[in-house]
Amino acid sequence: MPQFQIVVCGSIVPDPLQTLEPVTGPAGPSLKNELMLPAVLDPWAGHALYEAANLARNHPGSKVYLVSAAPKAKLQQVMMTVGQKAPFELVAIDASASGFTEAADVAALLAGAIAAIPGLDRSRLLVFGGWESASRGAGVTMQMVGERLGIAEQFLAVDQLTVGEDGTLEVLERIEGGSHQISSCQGAPAVFGWATGNLPEPRNNPQVGMQNMRAIMPALQKAKPASTGVPSFVSVSLPKQQRETRVVKDLTPDEVAREIVAWIGEN
Amino acid sequence: MEPERQQMDVDIVCVGFGPAAGGFLTTLSRGLAAGDGAPALESIVAPGMPPQVICYERSDDVGFGVSGIVTRARGIRATFPDLDPAAIPMAAPVREEKVIYLLDPVGASRRSIGLRAIDSLIRSFRFGLPLDHGAIELPYTPEFLRKHGGMVMSIGQFNQWVGSQLMASGAVQVWPGTPVAQALIEDGKIAGVRLVDQGVEKDGAPGPGFLPGMDIRAALTVVADGPVGAVSRQIDAELGVPQGYQRRDWAVGCKFVIDLPESCNLEPGTVFHTLGYPEPEIFGFFYVHPERVASAGIFVPSWFTSPVRTSYRYLQHFLLHPFFWRYVQGGRLRSWGAKSLQESGRRGEPFLAGDGYARIGEGSGSTNVLTGSGVDEAWTTGTQLAEAVLELLREGRSFTRANLESTYVARRRRSWVEKEGRIAEKARDGFQRGFLTGLAGMALSGFTKGIFTMPARVEEPYETIPTPYEYYRGRISDHEIAKIREQCAARCIPLHDALMERAGWPAIEYDGQLLVSHQDALLMGGKVQAPPGYADHVVFIDPALCKTCGSPVCVEICSAEAITPGPDGVPVFDREKCVHCGACLWNCTRALPDDSGRTNVEFRAGAGGLHSVEN
Amino acid sequence: MDRILVLLHTDADGVLSKTALEVLSAANALGGEFVVGLCGRDVQAAADSIAGCGASRLLAVSGDTFGESRYATDAAAAEALCRAAGAGLILAPASVRWARALPGVAHRLAGVIDTHVTSISMEDGAPRVGRWYYRQRIEAALTRTKRPWIVVLESGCAPAWQGEAGRVVLESVEVANAATRTRVLGVHSPKANEQTIRPDAALLFVAGAGWTKKQADGQPHVDVAGELILGFLRNSAASLGSSKSLVDLSGEGQAVLPFLTHMNQVGQTGSTPRHPKGLATCCHGEEPHVVGWRFINDRRAVNLDANCGWARGKADVVYVADAFAVMARVNEILKTRSAAT
Repeated sequence: MPQFQIVVCGSIVPDPLQTLEPVTGPAGPSLKNELMLPAVLDPWAGHALYEAANLARNHPGSKVYLVSAAPKAKLQQVMMTVGQKAPFELVAIDASASGFTEAADVAALLAGAIAAIPGLDRSRLLVFGGWESASRGAGVTMQMVGERLGIAEQFLAVDQLTVGEDGTLEVLERIEGGSHQISSCQGAPAVFGWATGNLPEPRNNPQVGMQNMRAIMPALQKAKPASTGVPSFVSVSLPKQQRETRVVKDLTPDEVAREIVAWIGEN
Repeated sequence: MEPERQQMDVDIVCVGFGPAAGGFLTTLSRGLAAGDGAPALESIVAPGMPPQVICYERSDDVGFGVSGIVTRARGIRATFPDLDPAAIPMAAPVREEKVIYLLDPVGASRRSIGLRAIDSLIRSFRFGLPLDHGAIELPYTPEFLRKHGGMVMSIGQFNQWVGSQLMASGAVQVWPGTPVAQALIEDGKIAGVRLVDQGVEKDGAPGPGFLPGMDIRAALTVVADGPVGAVSRQIDAELGVPQGYQRRDWAVGCKFVIDLPESCNLEPGTVFHTLGYPEPEIFGFFYVHPERVASAGIFVPSWFTSPVRTSYRYLQHFLLHPFFWRYVQGGRLRSWGAKSLQESGRRGEPFLAGDGYARIGEGSGSTNVLTGSGVDEAWTTGTQLAEAVLELLREGRSFTRANLESTYVARRRRSWVEKEGRIAEKARDGFQRGFLTGLAGMALSGFTKGIFTMPARVEEPYETIPTPYEYYRGRISDHEIAKIREQCAARCIPLHDALMERAGWPAIEYDGQLLVSHQDALLMGGKVQAPPGYADHVVFIDPALCKTCGSPVCVEICSAEAITPGPDGVPVFDREKCVHCGACLWNCTRALPDDSGRTNVEFRAGAGGLHSVEN
Repeated sequence: MDRILVLLHTDADGVLSKTALEVLSAANALGGEFVVGLCGRDVQAAADSIAGCGASRLLAVSGDTFGESRYATDAAAAEALCRAAGAGLILAPASVRWARALPGVAHRLAGVIDTHVTSISMEDGAPRVGRWYYRQRIEAALTRTKRPWIVVLESGCAPAWQGEAGRVVLESVEVANAATRTRVLGVHSPKANEQTIRPDAALLFVAGAGWTKKQADGQPHVDVAGELILGFLRNSAASLGSSKSLVDLSGEGQAVLPFLTHMNQVGQTGSTPRHPKGLATCCHGEEPHVVGWRFINDRRAVNLDANCGWARGKADVVYVADAFAVMARVNEILKTRSAAT
């Protein structure tokens, strides 16, 4: 049975239900109160991490790394909620987690950190990440990480990965119109940008947390500060989304239905 | 069949991460490391390692689900002598402090004859009195209420600040999102805790991905789960309480965090305490944080006997009072929150220590009900326990009741927390006899330092609540109330909006910014959420008893409309809306037939809540 | 002025998608000269179909290898076309193939890339693009000095190009290294009658968690809800979206609608589809959900709560009504009409 080194790239994003407001400073745009906002592991990176943990569990001898570029203090906080979910070794880079940073710079940091993992064996390497982030939402970083690591077997919007006895990777990628493309790759190394996958969020396991945290804190302490650039923003603003809503209260279901049908028929 | 549970051994397990646990863990973690960073003490469960200390918090983040405060911060400053409020977001030194009496601008408030007379007097002499926007500032703030030299802050931000330092120290682990179901009580001793089951259905039955709650065994269990904590109540029920112990005074505090409009010129550190409105029994507060943000809130106490008591609606009326509306009009609701306050203070003190456990914070009766201060006291009790624990660890003594009493309890008894708590103990009893008597009682306790108090029998909350028919007698006919109840039951909504409006309270005109419906508020400032796979934590123990209620105050007071009228009079609980304030616990009108100290609501440990770190 | 390359690929059936034609229009609108680069199994027919588009050159990479959607071969083809065109600005449609391949191409060319771009224009002689950050919650306009600059345009940002077909001469471009260890095995599509995601539909129909909650009689009616929703999709050819809470309910052990998956989810952690109209039912209109409606122009909602989020400036019309009753009637009317025609 193949054994893998699964490196998950994943950063943090503001808790998705927080109110966000952009502000522009000398270093480019950022979010108002960015360091105050509660953060979570990027949802798609989270799926990637849980898929990685599941794959590692099913392939004994495999190991999961989480490589994360984020402000150290916020990352530490997020580790308090993620650390009980799945066993992994953290590789931390103390850098901005803003969506406004240049993806190529972030990719360079991540690829550098992956290449520097002691004992990295490229023939067993699977690089996981989200298909895009909930911050920049570009879907480009993973491919650049792959390029930097010299991996041309890449998959995006992955919902399922099945490993054959011989190490063959069968991949389901989301494509247009609610369908999936099925591909087969002759084993590692490969890059996977995950969509949601099919796994539920793992339960909190205190033993996993206890074990993870012993390594997480030293990893955070070792995190080196790094900087990233930003594109030339001309404007960054909240959309004007208020509509003049007509609230229709006193129609019968039949009258509402007729209005809706008429509306659907309009061009 | 009892499922097979995993077990983990640690040295110290702590239940709940609030100010008390913050004080405990901060002081403890400093003592666990020697000056050179090497471990000063050794773990028993993991020889060769420093003591394994772990803290479990039920909410999804260490900064979620707590409240904004003004505090003298004596205990906090003792731990952080160089504390700069600017280092903690939303913290500011207290700059100005006023006590404001609010007149009733709408004429719907239920005021006694005495209070009406006072209001008339104030209005008659309005040209001679400093009447300002329907309110009058008390000429001075009694010393026992003053927070000068203190800070306004957001406990959410403070907890994050403390939590991040703790985690960075590496000496202790704090895990949010992990509710503790119960203590492991063995032969009168506490041997650790059991975490809640995961992967279960609403009723707790195993579901997909079932993971039985793990047993965390520890030589010392530190109980810091607050006033409505499940572990605290289990210990009281199983191991007993001291003579004279009573927890009958409660309040639910509800507050908004508001982005003030540009036009508002209030300085950070401005503090208003209010009384008189929206109901005489409801006290209010308004604290100004840096960057034009304010916390505004009210306390709805158990001695406000309305059967349709609600905090959210009253808070909107509070903000609409002309005194505050001029400051907040045009502002925006950023976040909100609610929590129960244990207002029995020192009188609600349980056994502080026993074999294998100790209790700290609000749940240990540390809140000062005269000065209205709880955070600093809670913090201080945590530091006292940490000092005691370090002493016992260094001397190789075990965590027995006797050892904890001679170290922790003794420290606490010698401290200002105890001394001031004693003075405050009976300060609020007078409110049982009315608002003015209550004020007089507070003044009497405050000025005589507790030597004289206003005597009154403090009743269980459920004993004091009239039916809506009794409460509104003379104002709304029985027939009309019955009709309103029928309509509200059919729509599965509480009664308070309809009855309050019928009693003269103006409808709230929502602006979608600051004044929003209660349901919309649940979506603001991080939204109320509940992770899947956990059981309902609010349970109506005997549904038959609910059917006899007819006046479910649990529905009215629910801070998040998570409890709604249900079929046959048994309320329905929606876990995804609950903010874990615990008000249902003490607002239930039905005592259990075999235990008059308990109501028909079981408030267990549960996951989720409001995802706001600004409260 | 940058030299522009419009980078397109054919679909499995050898034609250019609507989004591809939209990019042609966008390139035309920028003014100046542009080159078209085509990739596919056999691209002559596709090239002929856009003979009148105004491109100064048409470059092509073709062959069986390039008829499949796969990173290694797509990236190699795109890289070769970009190098052959020597363009400073590369415009491409937001297809799955290009979304997967072009970021790596940007790296190989030492260039930059912006994806999910919703507008492009020339401002002061330089291209400026608009795109969204933080899941469609923050809107930004940006420009770049580094070249080449790959801009991947979302669908619906420009009208689809329409014009004369003809016979064009293609310049074939060699691809240096398209080695791959990946084989495309096929496509797994839901059966036609189970297909609920229809990107080209005129209407997005969103089902919220209310469909599975207890109704006025104190009981949930999930079966009825399922029939009403599927019936509506059949009768209206709408695309089906859902709120997160509804697709998440399975984790809570509640009865759920079996035809819904995470792929139907619209909003913060779901999709942001583009349809001219949207109808939300039994959904509260929370901000995290509504961000997924950013590109739905005309919005209506049916909800029992007159204070729901939709009523606060998020929808154009809110009907305060019982969606069960309304949709049952809508289905009847639609069915009668289709029977009549």
